[in-house]
Amino acid sequence: MIKPMVNINLNNVSYTYSGRLEPAVENVTLSLDSGEITAITGLNGSGKSTLARLILGLLKPQEGQVCLDNRPVNSYTLAEVGEKIGYVLQNPNQMLFNTTVYNEVAFGLRWKGMKGEELKARCNQYLELFHLWPLRNKLPFNLSEGQKQMVAISAVLALEPSCLILDEPTKSIDTLRKKILIRVLRDIGCLGTGIIVISHDRSFVDALGGREINMVKGKITAYETRR
Amino acid sequence: MKLDVRTKLVIAAILSTLAIIYQNAVVLGVVLIITIVALALLKVSLQSFFDFRKLIYLYLVLIVIQSLFIRGGEPLITIGELHLLTTESIIYGIAIILRFLILIGSGLILLSCNLSEMLLAMDRMHIPYEIVFMIQIGIRFIPVLINELSNIFDTIQLRGVDLRKVYKRKVIRVYISIFTPLIYSIWQKAEQLSILLELRGFRRYPTRTYYRTISMGVIDYIIIGLSLSLAVIFVVVISML
Ligand SMILES: Nc1ncnc2c1ncn2[C@@H]1O[C@H](COP(=O)(O)OP(=O)(O)OP(=O)(O)O)[C@@H](O)[C@H]1O
Ligand SMILES: [Mg+2]
Repeated sequence: MIKPMVNINLNNVSYTYSGRLEPAVENVTLSLDSGEITAITGLNGSGKSTLARLILGLLKPQEGQVCLDNRPVNSYTLAEVGEKIGYVLQNPNQMLFNTTVYNEVAFGLRWKGMKGEELKARCNQYLELFHLWPLRNKLPFNLSEGQKQMVAISAVLALEPSCLILDEPTKSIDTLRKKILIRVLRDIGCLGTGIIVISHDRSFVDALGGREINMVKGKITAYETRR
Repeated sequence: MKLDVRTKLVIAAILSTLAIIYQNAVVLGVVLIITIVALALLKVSLQSFFDFRKLIYLYLVLIVIQSLFIRGGEPLITIGELHLLTTESIIYGIAIILRFLILIGSGLILLSCNLSEMLLAMDRMHIPYEIVFMIQIGIRFIPVLINELSNIFDTIQLRGVDLRKVYKRKVIRVYISIFTPLIYSIWQKAEQLSILLELRGFRRYPTRTYYRTISMGVIDYIIIGLSLSLAVIFVVVISML
Protein backbone atom coordinates (compact mmCIF):
# COMPACT_ATOMS: atom_id res chain seq x y z
CA MET A 1 0.00 0.00 0.00
CA ILE A 2 1.35 3.40 -0.92
CA LYS A 3 0.56 6.03 1.67
CA PRO A 4 0.00 9.70 0.96
CA MET A 5 3.15 11.65 1.71
CA VAL A 6 3.25 14.18 4.50
CA ASN A 7 5.70 16.98 4.58
CA ILE A 8 6.32 18.89 7.80
CA ASN A 9 8.02 22.25 7.70
CA LEU A 10 9.07 24.43 10.59
CA ASN A 11 10.33 27.87 9.81
CA ASN A 12 12.14 29.79 12.54
CA VAL A 13 9.73 28.57 15.19
CA SER A 14 9.99 29.87 18.74
CA TYR A 15 7.72 29.12 21.67
CA THR A 16 7.75 30.42 25.23
CA TYR A 17 5.33 29.06 27.82
CA SER A 18 3.40 31.81 29.56
CA GLY A 19 5.10 32.87 32.73
CA ARG A 20 8.49 31.63 31.51
CA LEU A 21 11.39 33.88 30.65
CA GLU A 22 13.36 31.50 28.46
CA PRO A 23 11.81 30.05 25.32
CA ALA A 24 11.20 26.29 25.43
CA VAL A 25 11.83 26.12 21.69
CA GLU A 26 13.93 28.77 19.95
CA ASN A 27 14.45 29.50 16.24
CA VAL A 28 13.89 25.96 15.04
CA THR A 29 13.95 25.44 11.30
CA LEU A 30 13.32 21.89 10.24
CA SER A 31 11.92 19.91 7.39
CA LEU A 32 10.67 16.34 7.68
CA ASP A 33 9.35 14.14 4.92
CA SER A 34 7.41 10.93 5.19
CA GLY A 35 9.65 7.97 4.64
CA GLU A 36 12.31 9.38 6.91
CA ILE A 37 13.22 8.20 10.38
CA THR A 38 14.22 11.05 12.65
CA ALA A 39 15.29 10.79 16.25
CA ILE A 40 15.15 13.84 18.47
CA THR A 41 17.45 13.62 21.45
CA GLY A 42 18.41 16.01 24.19
CA LEU A 43 18.51 16.43 27.94
CA ASN A 44 15.42 16.71 30.14
CA GLY A 45 13.70 20.00 29.57
CA SER A 46 15.46 20.74 26.31
CA GLY A 47 12.14 21.26 24.51
CA LYS A 48 11.61 17.97 22.69
CA SER A 49 8.02 17.39 23.76
CA THR A 50 7.26 21.05 23.17
CA LEU A 51 8.56 20.70 19.62
CA ALA A 52 6.24 17.73 19.10
CA ARG A 53 3.25 19.71 20.38
CA LEU A 54 4.17 22.58 18.06
CA ILE A 55 4.30 20.25 15.05
CA LEU A 56 0.83 18.95 15.87
CA GLY A 57 -0.54 22.46 16.32
CA LEU A 58 -1.38 21.83 19.99
CA LEU A 59 0.67 24.91 20.81
CA LYS A 60 0.79 28.02 18.68
CA PRO A 61 4.28 29.40 18.15
CA GLN A 62 4.78 33.05 19.07
CA GLU A 63 7.21 33.33 16.19
CA GLY A 64 7.63 31.45 12.96
CA GLN A 65 5.33 29.01 11.29
CA VAL A 66 4.61 25.29 11.20
CA CYS A 67 3.30 23.91 7.93
CA LEU A 68 1.89 20.51 7.06
CA ASP A 69 1.89 19.88 3.33
CA ASN A 70 2.56 23.57 2.74
CA ARG A 71 -0.48 24.72 4.69
CA PRO A 72 -0.22 26.27 8.17
CA VAL A 73 -0.98 23.59 10.74
CA ASN A 74 -3.57 25.82 12.39
CA SER A 75 -5.71 25.78 9.29
CA TYR A 76 -6.42 22.09 9.93
CA THR A 77 -8.74 20.76 12.62
CA LEU A 78 -7.08 18.46 15.13
CA ALA A 79 -8.94 15.52 13.64
CA GLU A 80 -7.44 16.35 10.25
CA VAL A 81 -3.98 16.60 11.74
CA GLY A 82 -4.61 13.23 13.39
CA GLU A 83 -5.32 11.70 9.98
CA LYS A 84 -1.84 12.65 8.87
CA ILE A 85 0.18 12.35 12.06
CA GLY A 86 -0.18 9.75 14.78
CA TYR A 87 1.00 11.02 18.16
CA VAL A 88 1.91 8.96 21.19
CA LEU A 89 2.23 11.10 24.30
CA GLN A 90 5.03 10.80 26.81
CA ASN A 91 2.46 9.79 29.41
CA PRO A 92 0.27 6.90 28.19
CA ASN A 93 -2.23 7.49 31.00
CA GLN A 94 -3.44 10.56 29.16
CA MET A 95 -4.14 8.52 26.04
CA LEU A 96 -6.27 5.70 27.37
CA PHE A 97 -9.96 6.36 27.79
CA ASN A 98 -11.82 3.23 26.77
CA THR A 99 -13.25 0.38 28.79
CA THR A 100 -11.20 -2.42 27.22
CA VAL A 101 -7.86 -2.71 25.47
CA TYR A 102 -9.68 -3.91 22.36
CA ASN A 103 -11.92 -0.84 22.30
CA GLU A 104 -8.89 1.33 22.83
CA VAL A 105 -7.32 0.07 19.63
CA ALA A 106 -10.67 0.11 17.80
CA PHE A 107 -11.60 3.62 18.94
CA GLY A 108 -10.06 5.65 16.13
CA LEU A 109 -10.92 3.03 13.52
CA ARG A 110 -14.60 3.08 14.46
CA TRP A 111 -14.69 6.83 14.16
CA LYS A 112 -13.20 6.42 10.72
CA GLY A 113 -16.19 4.27 9.83
CA MET A 114 -14.46 0.90 9.79
CA LYS A 115 -16.61 -2.02 10.96
CA GLY A 116 -17.27 -5.74 10.88
CA GLU A 117 -14.59 -8.18 9.82
CA GLU A 118 -12.26 -5.47 8.59
CA LEU A 119 -12.23 -3.75 11.97
CA LYS A 120 -11.71 -7.05 13.77
CA ALA A 121 -8.86 -8.07 11.52
CA ARG A 122 -7.10 -4.73 11.89
CA CYS A 123 -7.43 -4.70 15.69
CA ASN A 124 -6.26 -8.29 15.99
CA GLN A 125 -3.27 -7.57 13.81
CA TYR A 126 -2.07 -4.74 16.01
CA LEU A 127 -2.92 -6.46 19.27
CA GLU A 128 -0.94 -9.53 18.19
CA LEU A 129 1.99 -7.41 17.18
CA PHE A 130 2.94 -6.54 20.75
CA HIS A 131 1.51 -9.64 22.41
CA LEU A 132 -1.46 -7.73 23.77
CA TRP A 133 -4.07 -10.23 22.59
CA PRO A 134 -4.46 -11.95 26.01
CA LEU A 135 -5.14 -8.54 27.54
CA ARG A 136 -7.84 -7.52 25.06
CA ASN A 137 -10.72 -7.55 27.56
CA LYS A 138 -8.85 -5.87 30.40
CA LEU A 139 -9.40 -2.31 31.59
CA PRO A 140 -6.52 -0.26 30.13
CA PHE A 141 -6.06 1.77 33.33
CA ASN A 142 -5.22 -1.30 35.35
CA LEU A 143 -2.38 -2.52 33.17
CA SER A 144 1.28 -2.16 34.04
CA GLU A 145 3.02 0.98 32.83
CA GLY A 146 4.78 -0.85 30.01
CA GLN A 147 1.58 -2.55 28.91
CA LYS A 148 -0.23 0.78 28.88
CA GLN A 149 2.53 2.20 26.74
CA MET A 150 2.20 -0.66 24.26
CA VAL A 151 -1.59 -0.23 24.12
CA ALA A 152 -1.19 3.48 23.44
CA ILE A 153 1.34 2.79 20.69
CA SER A 154 -0.81 0.05 19.10
CA ALA A 155 -3.88 2.28 19.18
CA VAL A 156 -2.03 4.93 17.20
CA LEU A 157 -0.27 2.50 14.85
CA ALA A 158 -3.59 0.82 14.04
CA LEU A 159 -4.77 4.07 12.44
CA GLU A 160 -1.86 3.72 9.99
CA PRO A 161 -1.09 7.44 9.75
CA SER A 162 1.38 8.76 7.18
CA CYS A 163 3.62 10.06 9.91
CA LEU A 164 4.22 9.04 13.52
CA ILE A 165 5.51 11.02 16.47
CA LEU A 166 6.46 8.89 19.44
CA ASP A 167 7.45 10.67 22.65
CA GLU A 168 9.71 8.41 24.74
CA PRO A 169 8.19 5.18 23.37
CA THR A 170 10.68 2.91 25.15
CA LYS A 171 10.33 4.56 28.54
CA SER A 172 8.97 1.56 30.40
CA ILE A 173 8.86 -1.34 27.98
CA ASP A 174 10.96 -4.48 28.21
CA THR A 175 13.75 -5.55 25.85
CA LEU A 176 11.58 -8.06 24.01
CA ARG A 177 8.95 -5.48 23.17
CA LYS A 178 11.61 -2.92 22.41
CA LYS A 179 13.01 -5.26 19.76
CA ILE A 180 9.55 -5.72 18.30
CA LEU A 181 8.97 -1.98 18.29
CA ILE A 182 12.25 -1.37 16.48
CA ARG A 183 11.36 -3.97 13.87
CA VAL A 184 7.84 -2.61 13.37
CA LEU A 185 9.05 0.98 13.08
CA ARG A 186 11.72 0.03 10.57
CA ASP A 187 9.16 -1.94 8.55
CA ILE A 188 6.59 0.81 8.38
CA GLY A 189 9.41 3.28 7.77
CA CYS A 190 10.37 1.29 4.69
CA LEU A 191 6.74 1.39 3.55
CA GLY A 192 6.89 5.16 3.54
CA THR A 193 5.68 6.24 6.98
CA GLY A 194 7.59 9.18 8.40
CA ILE A 195 8.76 8.44 11.92
CA ILE A 196 9.84 10.90 14.55
CA VAL A 197 10.96 9.43 17.85
CA ILE A 198 11.85 11.45 20.89
CA SER A 199 14.13 9.37 23.03
CA HIS A 200 16.97 9.23 25.52
CA ASP A 201 17.49 5.59 24.81
CA ARG A 202 20.83 5.41 23.02
CA SER A 203 20.53 1.78 21.92
CA PHE A 204 17.02 2.36 20.61
CA VAL A 205 18.01 5.43 18.61
CA ASP A 206 21.05 3.66 17.18
CA ALA A 207 19.05 0.59 16.25
CA LEU A 208 16.45 2.67 14.40
CA GLY A 209 19.06 4.41 12.31
CA GLY A 210 18.15 7.42 10.21
CA ARG A 211 18.70 11.01 11.12
CA GLU A 212 19.40 12.32 14.59
CA ILE A 213 18.63 15.80 15.81
CA ASN A 214 20.04 16.98 19.10
CA MET A 215 18.38 19.74 21.10
CA VAL A 216 19.98 21.88 23.76
CA LYS A 217 17.91 24.48 25.59
CA GLY A 218 15.32 24.71 22.84
CA LYS A 219 17.77 24.99 19.96
CA ILE A 220 18.79 22.39 17.45
CA THR A 221 22.51 21.95 17.79
CA ALA A 222 23.38 19.00 15.59
CA TYR A 223 22.12 17.02 12.67
CA GLU A 224 23.60 13.64 12.05
CA THR A 225 22.75 11.13 9.39
CA ARG A 226 23.59 7.52 9.96
CA ARG A 227 22.43 4.41 8.31
CA MET B 1 6.94 47.39 52.78
CA LYS B 2 5.72 43.81 52.83
CA LEU B 3 2.44 43.17 54.56
CA ASP B 4 1.50 40.03 56.40
CA VAL B 5 -0.91 37.67 54.63
CA ARG B 6 -3.42 38.06 57.42
CA THR B 7 -3.63 41.78 56.76
CA LYS B 8 -4.47 41.06 53.15
CA LEU B 9 -7.02 38.47 54.20
CA VAL B 10 -8.73 41.00 56.48
CA ILE B 11 -8.83 43.64 53.74
CA ALA B 12 -10.24 41.18 51.22
CA ALA B 13 -12.82 40.03 53.76
CA ILE B 14 -13.94 43.60 54.52
CA LEU B 15 -14.29 44.51 50.84
CA SER B 16 -16.24 41.41 49.90
CA THR B 17 -18.52 41.77 52.93
CA LEU B 18 -19.31 45.36 51.92
CA ALA B 19 -20.00 44.19 48.38
CA ILE B 20 -22.49 41.66 49.61
CA ILE B 21 -24.39 43.77 52.16
CA TYR B 22 -25.05 46.76 49.89
CA GLN B 23 -27.31 46.78 46.86
CA ASN B 24 -27.24 50.45 46.02
CA ALA B 25 -25.28 51.12 42.83
CA VAL B 26 -23.78 54.39 44.12
CA VAL B 27 -22.52 52.81 47.34
CA LEU B 28 -21.11 49.86 45.43
CA GLY B 29 -19.42 52.32 43.06
CA VAL B 30 -17.68 53.92 46.03
CA VAL B 31 -16.64 50.50 47.36
CA LEU B 32 -15.25 49.62 43.94
CA ILE B 33 -13.16 52.78 43.92
CA ILE B 34 -11.86 51.90 47.40
CA THR B 35 -11.08 48.39 46.13
CA ILE B 36 -9.10 49.75 43.22
CA VAL B 37 -7.19 52.11 45.51
CA ALA B 38 -6.46 49.19 47.86
CA LEU B 39 -5.27 47.06 44.96
CA ALA B 40 -2.98 49.85 43.81
CA LEU B 41 -1.59 50.33 47.33
CA LEU B 42 -1.00 46.59 47.68
CA LYS B 43 0.76 46.68 44.31
CA VAL B 44 -1.55 44.07 42.81
CA SER B 45 -1.57 44.14 39.04
CA LEU B 46 -4.83 45.58 37.72
CA GLN B 47 -4.27 43.83 34.41
CA SER B 48 -6.64 40.95 35.15
CA PHE B 49 -9.42 43.44 35.81
CA PHE B 50 -9.29 44.47 32.20
CA ASP B 51 -9.58 40.88 31.06
CA PHE B 52 -13.14 40.98 32.31
CA ARG B 53 -14.24 43.43 29.64
CA LYS B 54 -14.74 40.34 27.46
CA LEU B 55 -17.72 39.55 29.67
CA ILE B 56 -19.52 42.73 28.64
CA TYR B 57 -22.18 40.77 26.72
CA LEU B 58 -22.85 38.65 29.75
CA TYR B 59 -23.52 41.83 31.72
CA LEU B 60 -25.91 43.06 29.06
CA VAL B 61 -27.81 39.77 29.12
CA LEU B 62 -27.92 39.98 32.92
CA ILE B 63 -29.46 43.44 32.74
CA VAL B 64 -32.13 42.26 30.30
CA ILE B 65 -32.94 39.22 32.42
CA GLN B 66 -33.25 41.51 35.47
CA SER B 67 -35.73 43.64 33.55
CA LEU B 68 -38.05 40.74 33.00
CA PHE B 69 -38.52 40.40 36.73
CA ILE B 70 -38.21 43.96 38.00
CA ARG B 71 -41.44 45.89 37.51
CA GLY B 72 -40.44 49.32 38.82
CA GLY B 73 -39.04 52.29 36.93
CA GLU B 74 -39.76 53.78 33.56
CA PRO B 75 -40.04 51.24 30.76
CA LEU B 76 -37.54 52.01 28.01
CA ILE B 77 -38.15 49.16 25.58
CA THR B 78 -41.34 47.15 25.57
CA ILE B 79 -42.68 44.32 23.47
CA GLY B 80 -46.43 44.16 24.03
CA GLU B 81 -46.94 43.67 27.76
CA LEU B 82 -43.35 42.72 28.35
CA HIS B 83 -40.90 45.37 29.60
CA LEU B 84 -37.56 44.49 28.06
CA LEU B 85 -35.66 47.33 29.66
CA THR B 86 -36.60 49.63 32.53
CA THR B 87 -34.57 52.39 34.18
CA GLU B 88 -34.63 50.56 37.49
CA SER B 89 -33.40 47.33 35.99
CA ILE B 90 -30.47 49.11 34.40
CA ILE B 91 -29.49 50.51 37.78
CA TYR B 92 -29.94 47.14 39.38
CA GLY B 93 -27.89 45.47 36.65
CA ILE B 94 -25.10 47.99 37.12
CA ALA B 95 -25.14 47.27 40.86
CA ILE B 96 -24.66 43.58 40.15
CA ILE B 97 -21.77 44.28 37.83
CA LEU B 98 -20.13 46.53 40.42
CA ARG B 99 -20.54 43.86 43.07
CA PHE B 100 -19.02 41.32 40.74
CA LEU B 101 -16.01 43.56 40.10
CA ILE B 102 -15.46 44.16 43.81
CA LEU B 103 -15.50 40.43 44.48
CA ILE B 104 -12.99 39.93 41.69
CA GLY B 105 -10.85 42.65 43.25
CA SER B 106 -10.88 40.87 46.61
CA GLY B 107 -10.03 37.66 44.81
CA LEU B 108 -7.05 39.38 43.20
CA ILE B 109 -5.80 40.41 46.63
CA LEU B 110 -5.98 36.79 47.75
CA LEU B 111 -4.27 35.59 44.57
CA SER B 112 -1.39 37.96 45.20
CA CYS B 113 -0.61 36.14 48.46
CA ASN B 114 1.94 33.40 48.55
CA LEU B 115 0.03 30.13 48.85
CA SER B 116 2.22 28.60 51.57
CA GLU B 117 1.98 31.77 53.62
CA MET B 118 -1.78 31.78 53.25
CA LEU B 119 -1.99 28.19 54.46
CA LEU B 120 0.29 29.06 57.34
CA ALA B 121 -1.94 32.01 58.17
CA MET B 122 -4.97 29.72 58.28
CA ASP B 123 -3.07 27.45 60.61
CA ARG B 124 -2.25 30.39 62.89
CA MET B 125 -5.93 31.27 62.90
CA HIS B 126 -6.49 27.82 64.43
CA ILE B 127 -8.16 26.28 61.40
CA PRO B 128 -7.48 22.53 61.73
CA TYR B 129 -4.50 21.40 59.69
CA GLU B 130 -6.57 18.73 57.95
CA ILE B 131 -8.79 21.39 56.43
CA VAL B 132 -5.85 23.57 55.49
CA PHE B 133 -4.28 20.54 53.87
CA MET B 134 -7.40 19.77 51.84
CA ILE B 135 -7.49 23.32 50.54
CA GLN B 136 -3.83 23.07 49.66
CA ILE B 137 -4.33 19.82 47.72
CA GLY B 138 -7.33 21.28 45.92
CA ILE B 139 -5.45 24.37 44.79
CA ARG B 140 -2.31 22.42 43.96
CA PHE B 141 -4.13 20.00 41.67
CA ILE B 142 -6.30 22.42 39.69
CA PRO B 143 -3.61 23.19 37.09
CA VAL B 144 -2.59 19.53 36.91
CA LEU B 145 -6.13 18.41 36.20
CA ILE B 146 -6.72 21.16 33.65
CA ASN B 147 -3.53 20.16 31.87
CA GLU B 148 -4.57 16.51 31.89
CA LEU B 149 -8.03 17.33 30.60
CA SER B 150 -6.68 19.36 27.72
CA ASN B 151 -4.27 16.55 26.82
CA ILE B 152 -7.13 14.06 26.71
CA PHE B 153 -9.16 16.47 24.54
CA ASP B 154 -6.23 16.72 22.15
CA THR B 155 -5.56 12.99 21.89
CA ILE B 156 -9.21 12.18 21.34
CA GLN B 157 -9.30 14.60 18.43
CA LEU B 158 -5.99 13.41 17.08
CA ARG B 159 -7.38 9.90 17.02
CA GLY B 160 -10.05 10.96 14.62
CA VAL B 161 -12.94 12.57 16.48
CA ASP B 162 -13.87 15.93 15.03
CA LEU B 163 -15.58 17.46 18.04
CA ARG B 164 -17.36 20.02 15.91
CA LYS B 165 -18.92 17.42 13.68
CA VAL B 166 -19.94 14.85 16.28
CA TYR B 167 -23.61 13.94 16.13
CA LYS B 168 -25.81 14.68 19.13
CA ARG B 169 -26.31 11.01 19.83
CA LYS B 170 -22.59 10.42 20.08
CA VAL B 171 -21.69 13.52 22.09
CA ILE B 172 -22.36 11.70 25.35
CA ARG B 173 -20.02 8.90 24.33
CA VAL B 174 -17.27 11.42 23.66
CA TYR B 175 -17.79 13.09 27.01
CA ILE B 176 -17.69 9.74 28.75
CA SER B 177 -14.42 9.09 26.96
CA ILE B 178 -13.07 12.37 28.19
CA PHE B 179 -14.11 12.14 31.81
CA THR B 180 -13.49 8.47 32.55
CA PRO B 181 -9.70 8.77 32.40
CA LEU B 182 -9.83 12.02 34.33
CA ILE B 183 -11.84 10.54 37.16
CA TYR B 184 -9.69 7.45 37.11
CA SER B 185 -6.52 9.50 37.34
CA ILE B 186 -7.93 11.57 40.20
CA TRP B 187 -8.78 8.34 41.98
CA GLN B 188 -5.32 6.96 41.35
CA LYS B 189 -3.63 10.16 42.47
CA ALA B 190 -5.64 10.17 45.67
CA GLU B 191 -4.66 6.59 46.38
CA GLN B 192 -0.99 7.14 45.65
CA LEU B 193 -0.86 10.43 47.51
CA SER B 194 -2.39 8.96 50.64
CA ILE B 195 0.12 6.09 50.67
CA LEU B 196 3.03 8.43 50.02
CA LEU B 197 1.91 10.79 52.75
CA GLU B 198 1.65 8.02 55.30
CA LEU B 199 5.06 6.74 54.28
CA ARG B 200 6.53 10.16 54.77
CA GLY B 201 5.06 10.55 58.21
CA PHE B 202 1.98 12.67 57.61
CA ARG B 203 0.16 13.27 60.93
CA ARG B 204 2.60 11.06 62.80
CA TYR B 205 2.91 13.81 65.39
CA PRO B 206 0.16 16.15 66.55
CA THR B 207 1.82 19.34 65.35
CA ARG B 208 3.93 20.21 62.38
CA THR B 209 6.51 22.87 61.79
CA TYR B 210 6.71 25.25 58.87
CA TYR B 211 9.64 26.28 56.75
CA ARG B 212 8.29 29.76 56.28
CA THR B 213 7.51 32.12 59.08
CA ILE B 214 4.97 34.87 59.03
CA SER B 215 4.82 37.60 61.55
CA MET B 216 2.60 40.59 62.01
CA GLY B 217 4.60 43.80 62.03
CA VAL B 218 3.45 47.03 63.67
CA ILE B 219 2.38 48.22 60.25
CA ASP B 220 0.07 45.19 59.89
CA TYR B 221 -1.75 45.93 63.13
CA ILE B 222 -2.09 49.57 62.16
CA ILE B 223 -3.44 48.77 58.72
CA ILE B 224 -5.89 46.17 60.00
CA GLY B 225 -7.09 48.61 62.68
CA LEU B 226 -7.47 51.45 60.20
CA SER B 227 -9.24 49.24 57.65
CA LEU B 228 -11.72 48.00 60.24
CA SER B 229 -12.45 51.51 61.55
CA LEU B 230 -12.78 52.78 57.99
CA ALA B 231 -15.26 50.01 57.29
CA VAL B 232 -17.29 50.90 60.39
CA ILE B 233 -17.28 54.60 59.49
CA PHE B 234 -18.34 53.70 55.96
CA VAL B 235 -21.25 51.61 57.19
CA VAL B 236 -22.37 54.32 59.65
CA VAL B 237 -22.14 57.12 57.09
CA ILE B 238 -24.08 55.14 54.50
CA SER B 239 -26.81 54.33 56.98
CA MET B 240 -27.21 58.02 57.88
CA LEU B 241 -27.51 59.21 54.27
N1 LIG C 1 3.01 23.29 30.53
C1 LIG C 1 4.16 23.95 30.74
N2 LIG C 1 4.15 25.19 31.30
C2 LIG C 1 5.30 25.87 31.49
N3 LIG C 1 6.51 25.42 31.16
C3 LIG C 1 6.60 24.21 30.59
C4 LIG C 1 5.43 23.41 30.35
N4 LIG C 1 5.82 22.26 29.76
C5 LIG C 1 7.15 22.33 29.66
N5 LIG C 1 7.65 23.49 30.15
C6 LIG C 1 9.06 23.92 30.16
O1 LIG C 1 9.52 23.96 28.83
C7 LIG C 1 10.82 23.41 28.75
C8 LIG C 1 10.85 22.26 27.74
O2 LIG C 1 9.97 21.23 28.18
P1 LIG C 1 9.74 19.90 27.37
O3 LIG C 1 8.62 19.17 28.02
O4 LIG C 1 9.56 20.24 25.93
O5 LIG C 1 11.12 19.13 27.59
P2 LIG C 1 11.58 17.71 27.08
O6 LIG C 1 12.74 17.93 26.21
O7 LIG C 1 10.42 16.97 26.51
O8 LIG C 1 12.05 17.01 28.42
P3 LIG C 1 11.95 15.47 28.88
O9 LIG C 1 13.11 14.77 28.30
O10 LIG C 1 12.04 15.55 30.36
O11 LIG C 1 10.62 14.94 28.42
C9 LIG C 1 11.19 22.98 30.16
O12 LIG C 1 12.06 23.97 30.69
C10 LIG C 1 9.90 22.95 30.91
O13 LIG C 1 10.10 23.33 32.24
MG1 LIG D 1 9.30 15.34 27.04
